[in-house]
Amino acid sequence: MKILTCPMNGPRNIDEFQSFGPVRAEQDPDRTADADWSRHLFRAENRKGIVVEWWRHVPSNYFFLAERDLVTNQVIRTFDASERRAQS
Amino acid sequence: MVASAVFPFMAGGAAHGTKLPAGAVTLSDLTASPRFGLKGGGSVAWLTAHGISLPAVNRIGAHRGMRIMRLGNEDILLLAEGAGEALAELKAAWANDTGSKGYSSWREEGWAWMRLSGRHAPQAMERLCALDLRADEFGVDDIAQTRVGHIEAVTFRSQMGFDVLFDVAASAYFARTTAAAAMQCIELPTDTEGHA
Repeated sequence: MKILTCPMNGPRNIDEFQSFGPVRAEQDPDRTADADWSRHLFRAENRKGIVVEWWRHVPSNYFFLAERDLVTNQVIRTFDASERRAQS
Repeated sequence: MVASAVFPFMAGGAAHGTKLPAGAVTLSDLTASPRFGLKGGGSVAWLTAHGISLPAVNRIGAHRGMRIMRLGNEDILLLAEGAGEALAELKAAWANDTGSKGYSSWREEGWAWMRLSGRHAPQAMERLCALDLRADEFGVDDIAQTRVGHIEAVTFRSQMGFDVLFDVAASAYFARTTAAAAMQCIELPTDTEGHA
């Protein structure tokens, strides 16, 4: 069984979570070239490395962020979204 | 086993014919008991302004006989078992307030509220929920938002065992899952592993 640590609820079975994919920079459709906008909408990054992803703990409907190594599938850390806002 | 029907009972509905287990593992339906959920920005400020001190997330507080359940930063559930008057007053004040006050999460209609009790309630709960809910890990003021009987649920300790809140549409399913777990516990001796 895989365990993921929810910042609010603590360590739980991975079954209790839903993944929402990597955090992506928001783009302004009026200022983005068509090719870039198309790429933003229809292409997914698939590079090796560490990615920050949105996750949801389903029973509490709590959204948070997780840093995950895409090669080893190891979750490095999980944290509340307010931490990201504080950084940016 | 003596049994009672699931609330709300509707002839021909999904819960038709479903019985709640009773005996060494007893399931009681408290869905008709008063409760009120507030959610969204302003909820905490409104409740605080009305004299309710809120516990930390996933903890239970008390106010005028009500349980104050903090399910998230701005997600609060008030359970008023035997304190319907205090809750009715608070709900009336909330309804009449035109300022910032969060919004009603309709927990009185959306969620079922059931109580697992009886001699083998802890053993049944072990089969229904993957979390460590032993008394030294999970106290009377703790809330677990997790899965119970394969469905998303909020659970906490009550005097008799455990209370479970979940989607009301799953009432019959939950009753059947609990009855199945109860059947596996009936022949067990109590406290084999020091569980209380």
